[in-house]
Amino acid sequence: MTETQGFIAGGLLLVALLMYTFWPENVFASQSEKTRLEYLLERKDQLNENLRDLNFEFKAGKYPEGDFETQRAQLESESARLMAEIEILQRA
Amino acid sequence: MAAFGSFALIIALALAAYNLLAGALALRLIATGQPARISPERLADTARRAGIAGFAAITAAAFALVWSVFANDFSITYILEHSNRALPAAYKFAALWSGQEGSLVLWAWLLGAYGFVLRLTHKTDVKLYAYAGVILAGIQVFFLAVLNFAAPPFALLKGVIPEDGNGLNPLLQYPEMVIHPPILYLGYVGFSVPFAFALGALMMRYPGEKWIKITRVWTMVTWLFLTCGVFLGMHWAYAVLGWGGYWGWDPVENASLIPWLTGTAFLHSVMMQEKKGMMKGWNVGLIFSTFLLTMLGTMLTRGGLVSSVHAFAESSIGNWFMIFMVIVAAVCVFTFIYQRDHLKNEQQVESLVSRESSFLFNNLVLLAVCFVIVWGTLYPVLSEYIEGTKVTYDAAWYNRVFVPIGLFLIFLMGVGPLLPWRSTSFKSIRRNFVLPVIALWVVVIGCVIAGVRPWHDGVFDQGHFYALVAFGLAAGVLTAIGSEFWRGAMVIARQSRRNYFWAVLQLIRRNTRRYGGYIVHIGVVIVVIGLTGSAFNRSVEKELTLHDKLIIGPYTLEYVGPTQDTNANYDSEYAQLNVYRGGKNQLQMTPGKRIYLVSGQPQTMVAIHSVIGWDLYVVYEGTNPDTGQPIIKAFLNLLVSWIWGGALVMILGTLVALTPQRQGSEIRGQGSGLTALEVGKL
Repeated sequence: MTETQGFIAGGLLLVALLMYTFWPENVFASQSEKTRLEYLLERKDQLNENLRDLNFEFKAGKYPEGDFETQRAQLESESARLMAEIEILQRA
Repeated sequence: MAAFGSFALIIALALAAYNLLAGALALRLIATGQPARISPERLADTARRAGIAGFAAITAAAFALVWSVFANDFSITYILEHSNRALPAAYKFAALWSGQEGSLVLWAWLLGAYGFVLRLTHKTDVKLYAYAGVILAGIQVFFLAVLNFAAPPFALLKGVIPEDGNGLNPLLQYPEMVIHPPILYLGYVGFSVPFAFALGALMMRYPGEKWIKITRVWTMVTWLFLTCGVFLGMHWAYAVLGWGGYWGWDPVENASLIPWLTGTAFLHSVMMQEKKGMMKGWNVGLIFSTFLLTMLGTMLTRGGLVSSVHAFAESSIGNWFMIFMVIVAAVCVFTFIYQRDHLKNEQQVESLVSRESSFLFNNLVLLAVCFVIVWGTLYPVLSEYIEGTKVTYDAAWYNRVFVPIGLFLIFLMGVGPLLPWRSTSFKSIRRNFVLPVIALWVVVIGCVIAGVRPWHDGVFDQGHFYALVAFGLAAGVLTAIGSEFWRGAMVIARQSRRNYFWAVLQLIRRNTRRYGGYIVHIGVVIVVIGLTGSAFNRSVEKELTLHDKLIIGPYTLEYVGPTQDTNANYDSEYAQLNVYRGGKNQLQMTPGKRIYLVSGQPQTMVAIHSVIGWDLYVVYEGTNPDTGQPIIKAFLNLLVSWIWGGALVMILGTLVALTPQRQGSEIRGQGSGLTALEVGKL
């Protein structure tokens, strides 16, 4: 490829890429803020996963009964707080 | 092709700059809600598409360079210096990353490829991806600026164009070298993506920890590539350099290990953030550091900051990297301080004896190792700058510092999984630690009986002491991990009334991330066992006459004469050795030397016979100029194959961890209709 051919090929590449970049599109994804409700639902999923892990590890004999009950109570009360707020937001 | 390639690089730079500026402006307009002539979201979309178009432009430039190598276009200085007509086709590809300019093209292309995938999948979270895309564009602008202004790969030769090129560095003419640098670079470059997401999430004050889930696959894939790259580099050093070892604490080896260590720390501590909302600031700091360390690594390998057997490209672009790193560090520190209230932890570590604290200790130890290696690597530069004399730490210094810290890390690897979250009671500790401690002592006593003793004739043997500790810890950790699998599988086997092996598979499918992680830990332990073998290595060097013998370990090597070979690329000479074990002729080994015709450079060709317990590693060191007889050096390197086997297990574990798990999808599918109590019973 000669220098001139190289520049012509480069010019064609430039035109193609500019057309791709600036071609007027009417449909594009909008940038929405995550709502509080979406955030709480994510947290709820995570808490559920933590509870499920705790329960499984207890069944596997990793926790004594007392430790398990304490930790489950903590996770459940945290989960109850979340559920209450989720319900309020969902009603609203 | 040179004109086309140069033009493509300029287009790529312009598109990356547009991506950065238009994207940043659009994000600013959206954040402040200021009115503008053009819709900010439309502007952001053109920026995103500029990023995709930029990848096409860099691909065109990389294609032009590879084409020029295959076309033997020696009018391009880079091709002249890194290729020749007789170079085999696979190594012509390797020429792309054998020099500074080419490897920077590879860097930019890989970054473009990662960015391409990121921008195509932007609908996962449009705003977060827009921030990450702009940050990636900023990094890309730097690399393309270096390529266009400081290290142009298509620079033309002035004067008469030679008939043939100077050829590829002989050290690089080895099959692994065709895949090692790109894989290592995939790891290096890949850390730009979690860095971009972390910085973007912090800039936009991303609510919650979902960005971690979004970036998890990116981080793990990147870590996998870096792991493969590090081990391939070790294997290359072992098989090609001919000194009998695989890790010499060379600055470039260190450069690949440093971000691996912080990346490993990040992979562990980020779980705390995801599960408990803890260590937020720490994690952001870790991923910022990891990215900066990949830049430092690139500067070490490509910037000419330190001298190394692996630094195939030395130059003065170090200043460019230095300035870029200062700018990145300033942006990171400013964002961190400005948004620090967003990084408040939701929970604190409740007890020193808990899984949370074991993660924290694990992180501290990994960072301590990282600091030691950074210090040792940069000390020659610092000492020369401050005192005027270059002082270099040798491998013994690194081993003295690294081995005890590394053993403590292995200890933590065994302890961590056995500790419950939040806090633990003495009863729980006793229940979980009995078996691993028994295994540890059984192996220690067994090793002492077998002759691995820290004292020989009243003299302390540090190597054997560390070997004893390492073998004991390895047994303890493997038992701890095994008990995790055993207990979990027993629960499933009881509930499902199926056999144990089916239960193990279900257990892994239920939580691929955790059990994949355990498999990675098993791989690490196997690697440690392999590394420990070096405490028992031995070597013999001897000048051999015809039918003379050399004895090492259980082997007797008999020299049966020389042989030679030649092709268009190199001449080679070999020593033929019959290898006997227990009086039987087992195999013939032919260690040799190559002389590359174009460059005139010699290259050692090591012969390796590998079995599970050891490697017989034979080097032909040339002939004695006085007698004309060959000098052979033989090594018996213990447990080396365990290192490569352990690396494969680590890769397998990471692949398992990357597999989508059943647990998450079940929870997501059922979660909305279940109370916490019901989920707890699952």
